[in-house]
Amino acid sequence: MGGIVFSRVRKAFGSFVAVKDLDLEIGAGEFVSLLGPSGCGKTTTLRMLAGLEFPTAGTIAIGGRVVNDVAPGKRNVAMVFQSYALYPHMTVGENIAYPLRKQGVARAEREARVRAVAETLQLGALLDRRPKQLSGGQQQRVALGRALVREPAAFLLDEPLSNLDAKLRAHMRAELIELHRRVGKTFVYVTHDQLEAMTMSDRIAVMHEGVLQQFAPPRVIYDQPANLTVAGFIGSPAMNVMDAELVAAAGGAVAANGLLRAPLAAPGGGAGGARTIRLGVRPEDVLLGAGPLSGRIRVVEPTGHETIVAFEAAGASFVARAAADFSGAPGETVPFDLRSARLHVFDGATGGRLELSGAGPISAA
Amino acid sequence: MPRLLRRILFNLFAWGVVLLVAFPLFWMIITSVKPQSELFRIPPTVWPETVTFEHYWRLIDETPFLVYMRNSLVLSFSTTFLVVVVATLGAHSLVRFRYPGRERIAQLVLFTYLLPSVVLILPLYLLMVWIGVANTIFSLVIAYTTFALPYALWLLRSFMQGIPDDLESAALVDGATRMEAFVDVILPQALPGIISTTIFTFILSWNEYLYALVLVNTDLARPLTTGVMTMLLGAFNIEWSLLMAAAVMMCVPLIILFAFLQSYLTRGFGAGGVKG
Repeated sequence: MGGIVFSRVRKAFGSFVAVKDLDLEIGAGEFVSLLGPSGCGKTTTLRMLAGLEFPTAGTIAIGGRVVNDVAPGKRNVAMVFQSYALYPHMTVGENIAYPLRKQGVARAEREARVRAVAETLQLGALLDRRPKQLSGGQQQRVALGRALVREPAAFLLDEPLSNLDAKLRAHMRAELIELHRRVGKTFVYVTHDQLEAMTMSDRIAVMHEGVLQQFAPPRVIYDQPANLTVAGFIGSPAMNVMDAELVAAAGGAVAANGLLRAPLAAPGGGAGGARTIRLGVRPEDVLLGAGPLSGRIRVVEPTGHETIVAFEAAGASFVARAAADFSGAPGETVPFDLRSARLHVFDGATGGRLELSGAGPISAA
Repeated sequence: MPRLLRRILFNLFAWGVVLLVAFPLFWMIITSVKPQSELFRIPPTVWPETVTFEHYWRLIDETPFLVYMRNSLVLSFSTTFLVVVVATLGAHSLVRFRYPGRERIAQLVLFTYLLPSVVLILPLYLLMVWIGVANTIFSLVIAYTTFALPYALWLLRSFMQGIPDDLESAALVDGATRMEAFVDVILPQALPGIISTTIFTFILSWNEYLYALVLVNTDLARPLTTGVMTMLLGAFNIEWSLLMAAAVMMCVPLIILFAFLQSYLTRGFGAGGVKG
């Protein structure tokens, strides 16, 4: 129960296509995040799942049942809205009880279940309050309570933490992870915050302009981004990317540009002939202080536990994560190296990931 | 200027405005309880020397005032009910549902409101005759609806635009049907708007004169505005004391309506469950 399947789902608003031919299979009990910048189609996808939008084409199935024509209330899913959407004229207790009332649950059972949920979420003392008398964090809990009380097959959460302050957000993140473990139901979580997606999810679906870019566990998304879009969106600071030429060489290929020459190996076979590629490297894989390459420091940003250094080399901009005690100053020249085994290679035209990996030390051009 | 003086001046000004507005009302009430002999005395008496309710008795006893009153009540309540129901559902549709021409419809509605009502009297009269409802209260209900509805629609539309979509979506996901979501969630939120619309429509139909004059020519269907006019304004003589008594009694339903709805009007404001 509770598995969710999108098959070739498409959603158009007039001529604007919000979601393009989405195929997505979410396992029962899985915590999946839909991640992407605003306007990428993630909220539309969630709303289609909830039944608040109708797909233009394709089918959506929940627990093996196609729900395209099923009313939102009959899909056995609960949703937590970004705005919480608490009913302002009802008390906390009435808010939580509302889905049960609509299911026709008897009054005595309703009260018992509301009380039980309120206890788990520490809302017991607030049941007679109105939503506007609550803090943001408490309103958030009420919204969760209203979802929990139904014991649905799946929970849909639309950026539920984005209205909370940073400290409370970190706290609620931990609570959500625990909640998911406790109830063991499917969670579909929409967010534009990669930290939330990375920390909470079993798998992340990265979306961009209505197209699913990659659907994989957080580690894979980070270490093997499927394309430049994913690579650029995940990770903060973002991945450094530079143009390079791929030249065939003995045992593989060599990526070369005005800055460096990097030998590459193709685990899957031939690397192909000469062509334009994009070479990516994460800030933590840029090693400052020693190496064959050199750059000029532009900005130094100490954050306390590390220092973010922006510098230029051969006309390209780089960002590096350095140790907290990094001592360079803007304008100075700094030697650096790249971890060759952690180079990411993307097709210059399509931006797709090429199965090439760094092999051997990098040298200056 | 010292603060005390400023306060005193401000208060004097405020009371001056209040007196200016209230004086005609005060004079209306005073005149209605003066005996006929005292009405035109010079200098006028501010407080009547003898208080009498004979005009009220005469009004109720000797004139069709109560019939007019009943007509006005039936007319105003029916119009208000019809307009508020249609406008509430219509505004909800204009705000929530996506269909082609939605904005165009809203603009057209506003356009009809801009049309001077005098222009519509004759076509409406002919229409009433044609469908066979001329000279009835019902014809006035229809006529008043034609000009109260556009305004009511726009008023409620702007109210409904202020209600977050998420509230209705949440109710739908929670298992409500569209109608249940409307009744359980949208209506309570729109209540202040609905009450404003109610008051507006009621006053409009209670005070309307022109349409009533043209569309209805029988005492059986005549509302207070035209009824009092035809009854008390003869060619050579105006019965001022009766007119004042009638005016006082005409105000009573409006005062009751206000007193009853005012608390609702303020209660609904400022209730927000959605964090922006």
